[in-house]
Amino acid sequence: MSSGTRQGAVATRGRGDLRLIAHQVKYEQLAFWLNRVGAVFTVGFSVVFLVMLGLSAGNQRVAILGGIRLVQFYVPGFCAYGVMAAGFTTLAITIVVRRETGLLKRLRLSPLPSWVLLVSIFISTSIIALVQVLLLLVIGRLGYHVSFPPSWAALFVAVIVGIVSFSAMGVAVSTLVPNQETAGPVTSIVFFVLLFLAGFWFPIAPGSGLAKFSNYLPVRHFILAMDASFRIPAGTGSLWAWHDLLVVALWGVGATLIALRRFSWSPRRA
Amino acid sequence: MALALTVSNLKKSYGTLKAVDDVSFDVERGEVFALLGPNGAGKTTCIEVLEGFLHRDGGAVEVLGVDPGHRRDAHWLRTRIGVVLQELAVEPFFTVRQVLERNAGFYPHPRPVDEVIELVGLADKGGAKVKKLSGGQQRRLDIGLGIIGNPELLFLDEPTTGLDPAARRTTWELIRQLSSEGTTVLMSSHYMDEVEALSHRVAVLSRGQIAAMGPTPSLGGRDKGEATIRFAVPEGVHPGDLPITPSSVDGNAVEVRTPDEVTALHELTGWALERHVALAGLSVTRESLEDIYLALTRHDRDESDARSA
Repeated sequence: MSSGTRQGAVATRGRGDLRLIAHQVKYEQLAFWLNRVGAVFTVGFSVVFLVMLGLSAGNQRVAILGGIRLVQFYVPGFCAYGVMAAGFTTLAITIVVRRETGLLKRLRLSPLPSWVLLVSIFISTSIIALVQVLLLLVIGRLGYHVSFPPSWAALFVAVIVGIVSFSAMGVAVSTLVPNQETAGPVTSIVFFVLLFLAGFWFPIAPGSGLAKFSNYLPVRHFILAMDASFRIPAGTGSLWAWHDLLVVALWGVGATLIALRRFSWSPRRA
Repeated sequence: MALALTVSNLKKSYGTLKAVDDVSFDVERGEVFALLGPNGAGKTTCIEVLEGFLHRDGGAVEVLGVDPGHRRDAHWLRTRIGVVLQELAVEPFFTVRQVLERNAGFYPHPRPVDEVIELVGLADKGGAKVKKLSGGQQRRLDIGLGIIGNPELLFLDEPTTGLDPAARRTTWELIRQLSSEGTTVLMSSHYMDEVEALSHRVAVLSRGQIAAMGPTPSLGGRDKGEATIRFAVPEGVHPGDLPITPSSVDGNAVEVRTPDEVTALHELTGWALERHVALAGLSVTRESLEDIYLALTRHDRDESDARSA
């Protein structure tokens, strides 16, 4: 009897898996948005930044940027920020909290296949990142006449490479965080330092040691790839920053290797 | 009777520590079987091997007819077992109903969500956020998640650790009810009263090995053997004048150990009635599960005392 039902389960697998992914994505999304403080903090941060920038000095045209508005210059960077915040910070914290509270272990012991969980988390992270990118584009357009990217395809590819790679980095970092109390501070500090090194907050002098070092890190390259897809600065150059995307992707591969080696379903504390 | 699971010569080490060292037992369908032992005795490791969460180093294990360490059978097995972990693993921002509906979607033949909410006594809490529940309510929701898939076999790892006495009682009631419905339960606990109240059979684990195993009411022969009668010697009576011979006298406190407490009590109380004297603090006890347990796990305590000293 039991072997019969087992074969039946295999026969209905294909359609069942899609249904299961949709089911899990729905609850991943609920888990994110029902945590209102977390959701507002994650999604709202870049939007609030954009609005503040626009209200202060953003609408000036800047000569050294080829005469484009400051807001226009910053939108790709904020889009990059949104993708990295969703993939890196939010995902890392989520995984640590779930691991340390036993939620991951419980999921592991349920019939939900691990790969369905992984795919669902990735889709859910992508939705969060895309919502941010769209919000930034729409607010930029309506509020500050920021033009949409010349090629949606280039933007989309850059965003997807970013989501995959920074999600992998988020999972890798989660394996290095020992407990849920330090998950927020550790990932935020790492993220902000990476942003600093990439010249996100203040420009870093080209040719300096810091700039050279930053060249080996993924954040600056991701911002440059997003810039390129908007053809910024100065409206020249290729929409496709293959070199930058390759660096980001390589970081994603490295992070995946770390994640595969170190990932644990059980709480770390013993 | 059909077996829900069998364990033969199970071995599992972490580095040089033998967490489970040659353990064998089996559990019949419909039975509540308890693993009793101090922290670090190997209870959770045993359970995690049976759940298929950990790989064993040696021995044979069969759960509902399949090997939980076998990748191909793991998914099938997980649709038929339920698991309640030591941690209160429930999402804080979901409502009770949302958590149960989410997990119900993982199983081919789940129990109806409303039925589970009713069964675990959260009927008026279906729309409440998990983080607003008390510890006892969260634990009952946790057990609800363990049974949402309609399991044939339920693993309960220390189901009431950290709960207040009232919450423990309601959790016991729930486990009794599940057992009466025919669910097989493998539980672990370090509470004697819990094991005594719930389990049909018990294995006492000590340092990764089974120190004793048997039906809970008669573990270690405690239903037979000597009973201890205790009372205070009435004033003006010399212990040597008593109708039964004391095993020990401490001040006026007397202990009498005897295999035949009925006859001994008859003589003692008859004597007391004749003389019109009281027997203050009269009690009859047999070795409790606690006495057996403490004797069996003495080594563990010596070790941990030595470590903390």
